[in-house]
Amino acid sequence: MRLGPDMKIQIKIIGPLMYAAGFSEKEMDVPAGTTVDGLTVLIGIPKERPRIVTRNGAAVSPDGALAEGDKIAVSPIYSGG
Amino acid sequence: MVGWTGYFLRVNLTSKTWKKEAFSEEFAHKWVGGRGFAVKILFDEVRPGIDPLGPENKFIVALGPIAGIPAPNTGKAVVAAISPLTGFYGDGNLGTRVAEHLRKAGYDALIVEGKADHPTMLYIEDDKVEFLPADEVWGQGTYACNDWIYAKYGKGVGVLNIGQGGENMARFAVVRSLEGRAGGRPGVGAVMGSKLLKAVVVKGSRPIPQADPAAMKALGSGDLRKVGQIDKQSGWSIQSTTGVLPFCNEVAGLPVRNFRKTSHPDAWKVDGERCNNARVATYGCPTCTMRCGITVLDDEGRESELDYENVALLGPNLEIFDLPKVASLNYLCDEYGLDTMSAGCVLSFYADAIDHGATSGDFRFGDAKRAKELLGLAARREGPLGNLLADGSLRMARAFGHNSEAYAMQVKGLEVAAYNCKFIPGQALAFGVAAIGAHHREAWIITFEIKHTTRESYGPEKAAKVIELQRIRGGMFEFLVSCRFPWIENGWPLDNYPKYFNTVTGLDWSLDDMWRVADRIYAMIKLHYLRQFPQADRTGDYPPRVWFDPSNADTEGPIAGKFLEEDKYDGMLQHYYDQRGYDRRGIPTKATLLALGLAEEAAAVEKVAVLT
Ligand code: SF4
Repeated sequence: MRLGPDMKIQIKIIGPLMYAAGFSEKEMDVPAGTTVDGLTVLIGIPKERPRIVTRNGAAVSPDGALAEGDKIAVSPIYSGG
Repeated sequence: MVGWTGYFLRVNLTSKTWKKEAFSEEFAHKWVGGRGFAVKILFDEVRPGIDPLGPENKFIVALGPIAGIPAPNTGKAVVAAISPLTGFYGDGNLGTRVAEHLRKAGYDALIVEGKADHPTMLYIEDDKVEFLPADEVWGQGTYACNDWIYAKYGKGVGVLNIGQGGENMARFAVVRSLEGRAGGRPGVGAVMGSKLLKAVVVKGSRPIPQADPAAMKALGSGDLRKVGQIDKQSGWSIQSTTGVLPFCNEVAGLPVRNFRKTSHPDAWKVDGERCNNARVATYGCPTCTMRCGITVLDDEGRESELDYENVALLGPNLEIFDLPKVASLNYLCDEYGLDTMSAGCVLSFYADAIDHGATSGDFRFGDAKRAKELLGLAARREGPLGNLLADGSLRMARAFGHNSEAYAMQVKGLEVAAYNCKFIPGQALAFGVAAIGAHHREAWIITFEIKHTTRESYGPEKAAKVIELQRIRGGMFEFLVSCRFPWIENGWPLDNYPKYFNTVTGLDWSLDDMWRVADRIYAMIKLHYLRQFPQADRTGDYPPRVWFDPSNADTEGPIAGKFLEEDKYDGMLQHYYDQRGYDRRGIPTKATLLALGLAEEAAAVEKVAVLT
């Protein structure tokens, strides 16, 4: 797939996944067309780590495409203590 | 019978007598232990209608066949009584060396009856039981009491104790063990206090009976190591439960301002990353290899052990976003022996009721200083305000009137744990049908709802998920008596638990056998409820009414304009009843009770209430 020019997204990494990514929150430029899974690989979270990704507070599927201005959060699958 | 000690220790504080009481193999196989034992003993021995804070109530410490055996993570005990907060069966679990010691002393449960004539500490060592004066520490908090006990007996003994909250019978007082936090949210600590029982100390020296001790040792210690390694890989215990706070904030599920709001821009100030950064020590239950307690210093330099529930409910829920101040409120709850969750909801309800003109007072959201004072008043039941707060949010609402019960965040009298279900229907159901009131321990389905279903759905799949988790979390882990965290947070396979059970007992049970016991226990708790409240109907399984209120909907964020729809919630509740074999009131039908082997208990209930 051809990826387009960069777009800005905000990303927040929740829980121990932030130690894999090396940061907990930042604004990032990602190529247009980047998927949710593509993003998690880009930030260094191994594919096999169970996770839930939300956009503006709602879950998004791994192949969902990101859009300019998205507020993305990547969290482990918590089970609520 | 192998795998159980086969005995209860029955202690009477009034007569200062005790006896070792055998139970049958049939009883063991039917109720297994922990919650199963407690629910049955209290049903058979405590008649409905008694004053939960009177001498007729009983305080139970119950263990299961794998409790205290080195395996993941078995240093837990169930404490139970008829609840002074909810009026029917109430319990909780906590990490404590009592689990191992009571079993090594030769008992699977302790039943405490009557009332002492002065503050008492019960000392149990194998076949010796002593009733010792505790006047010296009566009036002191749990930390000082614990130090006093350790100074007498050394740090290796098992300890359960109460603080001023329990002594003064605050209805949400817990039982504490410095070896592993607190348990018994629905006022089990108040029941100890009503009996003038300040502490229980246990030291056991015999081997715990097991079918194959060598095999269990190899299996259990190997698995403990593996669970520790898995946790290192996942990193879960770095932030432990506090990691979930930003997730709740992100998906509009955080309790903020008495659950009026679902997220807050300052929530990050008390999130898991900040908790871990502030860590000065790590704290864990006995035998645990994924120690999850994060100890930080509070604003007075005292060590305070945090988890998500207490941070969320004593922090954002009170609009306090200063971690040392939140830690200080948490420290005080632990010192006084008050449940942190109920305490957070009681204070937030009080501030909200003042805001809404239901009562007058000088407490406002964000006021940590006054919050500290109020906790002290509640723990000491000092003055009319202290007495009011100590009675919990439902009784407060009934005293205030002005429709404030709608935003008293409780179900069946037990305050809601730290998940704001303004628009998380399945989790609202999980709170509604939690056996003892709005506890998160039994079912937590938020990630499932958001990731695998539509949040808007009120369908049968959510009811099914709640039942699946109740069987595991509120059932198996509570009757085997073991910590659920290896499974829930680190994916430790569930089929390990029948393996431990079978190795210890020599039986050949499957997970399905476990679910049958779990269903029996859930039905029994409903029978307790019906026996106490014969007019009970399905509205007892409704969440706080404010979640149904359109005017309470968020005005921005992911669930803007959304609220729980009452008729749809009711439909989902009916799915739950249908799947469980309960009638329209939410009571198990006679056919369900018979299928679960509860004919005798059904007959007992039919003397005071109707079964269909
Ligand atoms: S995971 Fe936490 S609650 Fe469970 S046994 Fe370990 S320290 Fe205790």
